[in-house]
Amino acid sequence: MASAEDAQHLSTRHLLGIKYLNEADIRLIFDTAREFKEVINRPIKKVPSLRDITIANLFFESSTRTRISFELAEKRLSADVVNFSASSSSVSKGETLLDTVNNILSMKVDMVVMRHPAPGAHHFLARHIQANIVNAGDGTHEHPTQALLDAFSMQEVLGDLRGKHIAIFGDILHSRVALSNIFCLQKLGAKVKVCGPPTLIPKYIPSLGVEVSYDLQDTLRWCDVANVLRIQLERQEELRYFPSLREYARFFGIRKDLLDQLEKPILIMHPGPINRGVELTSDVADSDHSIILQQVENGVAIRMAVLYLLSALRPPSSSG
Amino acid sequence: MELVLRNAKIADPRSSHHRQMVDLHIQDDAIRAIDVDLPVKNGQEWDLDGAWVSPGWVDVGAWVPDPGYEQREDFASAARAAARGGFTDVLVLPNTEPVLDGKAAVQYVRSAEPAQPVAFHPIGAVTRGCQGTDITEMMDMEQAGAVAFSDGLQSIQHSGMLYRALLYVKAFHGLVINAPLDESLAGTGLMHEGVVSTSLGLRGIPDIAESLMVQRDINLLAYTNSRLHLADISKAASLPLIREAKARGLRLTCSVSVHHLQHTDEQVRGFDTNYKLTPPLGTDGDREALRKALLDGTIDLVTSQHRPWEEDHKKLEFPFAAEGVTGLETAFGQLMHSLGDRLDASWLAMNLAHKPREIFGLKPVSLEAGQPACLTCFSLQGKSRVEPGRQASKSANSPALGQELPGRILGVVHRGFWVRSSE
Repeated sequence: MASAEDAQHLSTRHLLGIKYLNEADIRLIFDTAREFKEVINRPIKKVPSLRDITIANLFFESSTRTRISFELAEKRLSADVVNFSASSSSVSKGETLLDTVNNILSMKVDMVVMRHPAPGAHHFLARHIQANIVNAGDGTHEHPTQALLDAFSMQEVLGDLRGKHIAIFGDILHSRVALSNIFCLQKLGAKVKVCGPPTLIPKYIPSLGVEVSYDLQDTLRWCDVANVLRIQLERQEELRYFPSLREYARFFGIRKDLLDQLEKPILIMHPGPINRGVELTSDVADSDHSIILQQVENGVAIRMAVLYLLSALRPPSSSG
Repeated sequence: MELVLRNAKIADPRSSHHRQMVDLHIQDDAIRAIDVDLPVKNGQEWDLDGAWVSPGWVDVGAWVPDPGYEQREDFASAARAAARGGFTDVLVLPNTEPVLDGKAAVQYVRSAEPAQPVAFHPIGAVTRGCQGTDITEMMDMEQAGAVAFSDGLQSIQHSGMLYRALLYVKAFHGLVINAPLDESLAGTGLMHEGVVSTSLGLRGIPDIAESLMVQRDINLLAYTNSRLHLADISKAASLPLIREAKARGLRLTCSVSVHHLQHTDEQVRGFDTNYKLTPPLGTDGDREALRKALLDGTIDLVTSQHRPWEEDHKKLEFPFAAEGVTGLETAFGQLMHSLGDRLDASWLAMNLAHKPREIFGLKPVSLEAGQPACLTCFSLQGKSRVEPGRQASKSANSPALGQELPGRILGVVHRGFWVRSSE
């Protein structure tokens, strides 16, 4: 089986998480995404790569930007697309995930892009169905395409990420973006630090090889990139993790004056949607340091690359 | 019934025949004679070919959700599963629907499956409906045959409630069981908090959720000078507290499940719901500490932690799946897998037969002529394959399915009935 062509294949037929990719996989996705980025900036943005391939977008949790980004990526590749949305509550009460997905697969779907509130939901599906599976976010586990587009966007500005200092700010405890970012950046050789209120940082996060800081200004001085996560007060449970958005903004929000004090400029990133005035002030989000909109543009290219590369690894039986 | 067991090696340090190779003549529910080369009788013969015979084994906390959820397990299927697993006596948790919280429910359990070689012993609820608020009629239940009191799967959260229960059972020298888990710390956790939970993004349950509750329970026990059994200890952090309490002379006992002796949280990496347990599987360090504590006597008993669930509750995304796996049929093999090189037939007889009877006040049994015939036949040699589709339990939520486990259960004799496990 070993041939030069094999080097162009991913080592896995599903994208369940960054954990399950190797560095070569990530670099292959980036190389492919670079080509697709060039494609989507042409006057004719569409290529026939996934013609006759049907992709189901299953969103069991609300999403706007990720769903649109995937759908656009699929359409630019000429795939046939079906969309399914359901709230997680109707799933846990009614039809099981397996029944829902099997129903959709009976209609001859080749690939499944899924967002689901349960960590590991994609592993569960992968054990029971044939189609390629792309994880578009599984609870607090992983959001691999977000991490890929984040790292890709950092590379575009900074070049090779080896030895670069990347800080992730905010709610690390509930964040699939943080976890996927950590895995991805480490595979590319970057150093990662997380920063936020201690109640939002998992106790065992250092076991992943990241540093922990509770000091915003210290961490800003340390980093080349600040990847800032969305703070959601509505996510808080019976006992609050922090007292108020006001206090959070005062002690963990990134403001222009803090950036102005730094000796070197840093990149500001955010997976969106931004809580303006909470984790980022508007003058930071809209500044020259911010590459938030480039992230969104790169998201389409990254997702095209992932879908294209996985489509080459389809099981023969699913192509009917 | 008349049966002669041939070539049985006695495993019972309390019997004058310990370690002897003998024949046993059993008539109805009693041992008539134990001797070498007993003459042929009218009844049946069973040649054990040198395998061990121990006083019948006791499981001290299986969940048999009958009435309520008979599709998972009822007493008929539980009796078959227990017998195949080598258990002649099973203590059952009160978490049925309705809850086992009154005399009628106690009598229902005690009268279950009279024609099987397995006796069921009810654990009555401490609080009505296991809701944690209103104390039950424990004296009445005790007179009807409840062997201990617990809210079973539901850990008693309210300190005042446990305090009152510990005091109340002193009237009849009763025993309270609690499974220590502080729900305010466990929160919405899905597995043990540690390296693995962090990597999987699954909310962790810190080990202090157990050890803090163990400390609370010990303090309440000391204050009330009552009797307490801590069920399903799973974390190393709890063990020094238990050791210290026992050294102080408190009447404290505890148990560990075969699952926690065999597995660790590493097994959760594939999101396999058959490794989703309460309490959650700990680290390798926890597992080794539990094994040592069982051998040095810090932990008194080992349980099957039998938790049957139909497939619909297990074949789900990890957070939505029910907690627990079956264990009655595989407990011995799992124990052998975990500690096979460190325990022998005498240990098994003491820890699976004598100690649980002492702690829970069941009638003692001994392998002597004239005594009730209550025995478990087993071999430390060989292996047995856990065949999917051939289990007696109604539920198949076990990670052991399809595996080979060391040791073999040959069968049980009890209450005038006998069952060979291979049948």
